[in-house]
Amino acid sequence: MKARYPGYNVLDKRGTVSWDDVTREVIKQRMAPPSESRFLDPLAWQTLQAVCESVMPQSPEAAQIPVAAMLDERLRTNAGDGYRDMRLPPLRQAWRIGLAALNEESIATFRQPYYSLAAPQRHLLLERMQRGELVHPAWHGLPSDIFFSNRVLKDICAIYYSHPYAWNQIGFGGPANPRGYVRMYFDRRDPWEAAEAKPGHEVRARRGKHRVR
Amino acid sequence: MREFEHDDDVDFAIVGTGAGGGTLACRLSELGFRVVAFDAGAWWRPLEEFASDESHQKKLFWTDERLCDGETPLVLGTNNSGKAIGGSTVHFAMVSLRFRPEWFKSRSLLGYGADWPLDWREMWHYYTQVEQALKISGPLKYPWGPKRPRYPYREHELNAAAWVLARGAEALGIDWTSTPLATVSAPRGHSPPCVYRGFCVSGCATNAKQSALVTWIPRAVAAGAEIRDLAMVTRIAVGNNDRVTGLEYIREGQRQFQRARHVVVAGYAIETPRLLLLSATSRFPDGLGNSSGLLGKNLMVQSNQAVWGVMPEEIRAYKGPPSLAITEHWNYTDIGKDFFGGYSYMSQGPLPIVWAGALNRRGLWGQALLDEMQHYNHQVGLKIVGETLPQERNRVTLADEKDANGLPIARVTYSFCDNDKRLIRHALDFMGRALDAAGVGDIWEETNDTCHLNGTARMGDDPRCSVVDGDCRSWDIPNLWICDGSVFPTVGGVNPSLTIQAIALRTADRIAALAGRGELDRRPQKKMS
Amino acid sequence: MQAPGQLKAAHSFTRSSSLLAWSVLADSAMEHYRGSFTNPAMTLPLASSLCALMAGIHSSGDSRPRRHVVRHAIYWSAAGIGIAGTAFHCYNIGKRPGGWCWNNLFYAAPIGAPMALLLSGVFGDVAERMREKPAVQPRLLGLPAWQSTALLCAAGLLGTAGEVGLLHLRGSFQHRAMYAPVLLAPAAATLLIHAAAVRRKPHWAARIALLAAQWLGVIGVLFHARGVARSQGGWRNWSQNLLSGPPLPAPPSLTALAMAGIAALRLEKAES
Repeated sequence: MKARYPGYNVLDKRGTVSWDDVTREVIKQRMAPPSESRFLDPLAWQTLQAVCESVMPQSPEAAQIPVAAMLDERLRTNAGDGYRDMRLPPLRQAWRIGLAALNEESIATFRQPYYSLAAPQRHLLLERMQRGELVHPAWHGLPSDIFFSNRVLKDICAIYYSHPYAWNQIGFGGPANPRGYVRMYFDRRDPWEAAEAKPGHEVRARRGKHRVR
Repeated sequence: MREFEHDDDVDFAIVGTGAGGGTLACRLSELGFRVVAFDAGAWWRPLEEFASDESHQKKLFWTDERLCDGETPLVLGTNNSGKAIGGSTVHFAMVSLRFRPEWFKSRSLLGYGADWPLDWREMWHYYTQVEQALKISGPLKYPWGPKRPRYPYREHELNAAAWVLARGAEALGIDWTSTPLATVSAPRGHSPPCVYRGFCVSGCATNAKQSALVTWIPRAVAAGAEIRDLAMVTRIAVGNNDRVTGLEYIREGQRQFQRARHVVVAGYAIETPRLLLLSATSRFPDGLGNSSGLLGKNLMVQSNQAVWGVMPEEIRAYKGPPSLAITEHWNYTDIGKDFFGGYSYMSQGPLPIVWAGALNRRGLWGQALLDEMQHYNHQVGLKIVGETLPQERNRVTLADEKDANGLPIARVTYSFCDNDKRLIRHALDFMGRALDAAGVGDIWEETNDTCHLNGTARMGDDPRCSVVDGDCRSWDIPNLWICDGSVFPTVGGVNPSLTIQAIALRTADRIAALAGRGELDRRPQKKMS
Repeated sequence: MQAPGQLKAAHSFTRSSSLLAWSVLADSAMEHYRGSFTNPAMTLPLASSLCALMAGIHSSGDSRPRRHVVRHAIYWSAAGIGIAGTAFHCYNIGKRPGGWCWNNLFYAAPIGAPMALLLSGVFGDVAERMREKPAVQPRLLGLPAWQSTALLCAAGLLGTAGEVGLLHLRGSFQHRAMYAPVLLAPAAATLLIHAAAVRRKPHWAARIALLAAQWLGVIGVLFHARGVARSQGGWRNWSQNLLSGPPLPAPPSLTALAMAGIAALRLEKAES
């Protein structure tokens, strides 16, 4: 897929007035998460990595967003949302049950652990989870569709889009303090915003990146 | 800051420092009362401690566990629950709207909900006071409702998302306006004008936002109030004479007790009933102030459904306050409706995580989500703040599950009623037409979001049908008060913060008046006529 | 022989013209950069005001008692572009959603701004004409020259007052000093009109008001600089605050108009 914001890297603005010290520190920490599991057991960790690859597929050439590691870290600190659908157990328990159950479903259906499935089969199981069709006893009564929407999508996608690499893909301006924005109208862009490659204008957009300052 | 001893018999101990508690702490201390205000959250210094980051700024939200059930289990934590000095106003969207006057008598005049024990003209007076105190930036002429004074500061420049709302409204022939917002468009004291950085609902790092943290709290401290942060109040104590005597709280791991002549609960629509339920005694087995049995009931959210689409032009809705333009047409028009109540709708500016969440609820993930996220800078939408009707089945109760302090957590049960669903349907249809008329393509509906929480300790004229009177005073315990969004008998179709603050200002004035008459410590017996 | 007084007056009007041109150059450069030069015509006021500025510099070194064709043409074109700019700004507001609503008046293309270019051209034109006028009782536009120029300045001052009023209203008059130009400019204009209508009287009141307005334009720059400093990030965030803070190049146009007004009164004095 052609990049819509070729050459745009929100991190190029790190040293500019668009970023303040607090934000620099926060993003620095986000860019350096532990690379392996510190909370989940090895099987759950492998399953989680496979789930993340399906839910938020990343091109192997691109710099990777370590979604699974960031989620594992969140589970380690047990950082809650402030609410829980009553059909779900607490955060850690929900993930433990859900990942184990998904693996059991995989073994029951494909006679392989989930992490060793090919991408289409992984996808298939997740689609069935989304529709609430997974009812293996390993779910312990947890409705798989609620787990899918309230935990799998919500947690994984929120982590993915908290990462600067994801902001680059969608052309989000990123941190903005003390400098915010000046040009607010349709089709107006501040020089420190991502230049979009309109079809046929990719070169111009790439040139535009030098103005991201 | 002045500090009180635990044995000091302070005049008012206030639980919560948001739109209700913060405002009341300010005014009561300015009126000469001795005030200590407690908050479970931290006292942030936005300039040094707020990052430009959606995910990091979750630290402003109430992230302690709550259980949600019902037919439409609520989503809490982000857009409706704060935990900080200044409460949810630290991360609110700054939308500062007045109620439609008729809503204060919606049962008598409009045929639904319940009447407020307040007169709209009196509220109009207090609305003006709040607007002045927060230097609301609003339009020179407001298209709806009775005349109101000019907003202290001028309206903000609109972003492209707001202009889409304008285009749609003009095409459909209804009024629209720039939204009155509690963020300054010109310098004010230490607040610089808004720089349109767009992280408003993650906390304003510039102090342009006129939250309780920036406005009422410094005034309260200057007037001699004490603000006790990181202090989780766990119980209100009641003496033998059926009067509250003070409150128990946990701070720095220590259980402590603060004596007080009056206690005001201002913890918003979930923590307020929770605390009063937790404070049950043998004399008040169903919770304090609950002789009506209505404590925790009639929880009202506001529906927050949206219609989204994609524009050929770049919108970049992440710039500027999220809701720069509004129409209150369907709040003030009663014809053409198949439902009770009203709604306003506003332009939107979701940041990436919130936007991905909306697409998740649309069922998108994997490559489909990545593809749709590519339109981020072209997406545009309209979102309602819709009125829901009070229903006793929608309620806050205590769950079996306990929090870190060993106290039962809140269970929040919520279901839309048919009227709510009809209102939502009407709104989605209308906004879909508006987007279409504005030239937006690929239109889709986000059908399941909610926002603000109100009700659960409604005010009224009759002790049998309400928890507090019009002065926010408990019918059962004369030195117990509730002053936040919980007291709303109905919610209307506008964001509640301005009304909560207006009620707090009124309550402060009423307390001073009652004190002047010697009626503060005992409720005068009603004369038989 | 040209009286030195006439040349002096010509130079005074040139200075006003040049200062206005400088103000337009800086202001339109910033504002049209903010507008991303979406329309190529947005470079015209820059080019025109730059030419007017250079014509002014050329003129100040020129003591010949006759007008200069190129300079005169530059001033005429500046005036024309000023009028066209106003029309274009009006068109621009009209076609936006909301049309002539306050939000567009506050934040869309400023309707009053191109008028400064018109005035720069007009004062330049006056200066050129003055060079050729007879020593005694020069006339301009059918009136004694000092009267016609005084009335022109008064009109310019009223227009400026309108624009400042609109923009300071946008700023909610958050500082008391923001009332000063809104009150002083019309006062000076009124006194100037009065002076032009009631001839051969000492015009000390008009002179004082104009002097005050002249200095207010200078002080205004300082106030605006302080406004930029007070914005989030202050001067460090210049790439935003120079554009969205109070405009630094705006107040000098008040100085330029007041200077022209004073020159008109001096012309009258020289005559009498």
